[in-house]
Amino acid sequence: MDYRLDKFQPLKRILCFDDFDNGLCGWTNLMPNYTLDNFGVRDSIVEKTQWGPIMLSSATFRFPGTHGSMDGIYSLKLATRPVANPYQGPPAPGSISHAIKRMTMHRKPSRIQFEMWYAYTTEQDRSGLSENDIRAFGVSFDMQDAKARNFVGVRYVNSVNGELKKEWQVMQANDVSDKDWAYDTDGDWCKRGVDPMWYGRRHPDGRADGYQFVPDSRQELCYNESDDKINWLYLRLTYDLAERRYVELQSRDRVFDLSQFQPTDVPPYARIEGLLNPVIWIENDSDRRVFLFVDSVVISAD
Amino acid sequence: MRQFQTSTLEQRHVFDADFETHPLEVAWASEAIFFVDAEQLEGVGSLLLKVQISVDGVNWLDEGTAFDPISGTTRAFRRVSHFGGWLRLQGIFAGAACAYKLTIHLVIKE
Repeated sequence: MDYRLDKFQPLKRILCFDDFDNGLCGWTNLMPNYTLDNFGVRDSIVEKTQWGPIMLSSATFRFPGTHGSMDGIYSLKLATRPVANPYQGPPAPGSISHAIKRMTMHRKPSRIQFEMWYAYTTEQDRSGLSENDIRAFGVSFDMQDAKARNFVGVRYVNSVNGELKKEWQVMQANDVSDKDWAYDTDGDWCKRGVDPMWYGRRHPDGRADGYQFVPDSRQELCYNESDDKINWLYLRLTYDLAERRYVELQSRDRVFDLSQFQPTDVPPYARIEGLLNPVIWIENDSDRRVFLFVDSVVISAD
Repeated sequence: MRQFQTSTLEQRHVFDADFETHPLEVAWASEAIFFVDAEQLEGVGSLLLKVQISVDGVNWLDEGTAFDPISGTTRAFRRVSHFGGWLRLQGIFAGAACAYKLTIHLVIKE
């Protein structure tokens, strides 16, 4: 019996069932566009060439040895570099690790869903318990149709400048200018609503111009009692492409109604119509490596 | 089919002090090649690069493989195998102060 899909709740059509015991399954590092002279990239207040490279992990730690994954040995690991800026600044180069898979839409607009089983921890490079050093992690779709480009996603804001928040946010931009969106930078290429993983001003209380707090969403996620113990967690995000509205978020056993939220429309970009890119990321809150382990992912649609 | 991954550990990053590359988990692979693309930006000192392995990604030991001392602008590679779960390079600046722009790839295969 193949039970591996039983722990998911896919919609009718499964686009991907990525179990990282089978390899990277098309997930890769996000990089900017190398289109200038000498393969240069456009200037931006956020340096996107230094994010921590992803890898296939055995989740091995100093004393317990190998944790493995939920169904075997290997998971997809996102690993930051040991650098961070304060929450309210642009993320430091390398303070995020980001995985992306690149697809296009092949069905009429319907519901689309992102599910994964994952775990998170810090590098155990010092004594103590380090839960506060993980700032946030999340999943989203970067998608575009003839009408708009949309970032549809959620993140768990774990810690803000060392203070635990443990609340969920949904991607929906505040009514700010492109200059505000790029941390008060004139002429940055990025438009309001694009790449809220790192653009959109952040505020010391945890608010951010790219996100809205999900009401009553403070949630414990079983970080465990030591940095070398990880527990696999379930996440599901459902979005209605036809209605252009969020549907719901399930985290562990809690379901959050997201129907009051709508992603932000950005005028379509050239050459990416039909884009459907699921993405996963994690960001650290201090100068150390933090890890997000993904056992498996299911992307499905009606 | 054989499994394969090319990872860009360091990308056009300027180093002027001793460093270690982003640790990469490689338990699934049995062979690897480090590719180094180095451009000396200033100074006349050389750069020593050696392969390190680790039991946990935190504590590291020399694996025994090293690059010839790097000076000027050059490209080089080193093959490694039987490395356990983790690989990285350690960079040590030797002699006079200098700076290098480095791109370092790790190519792994099972």
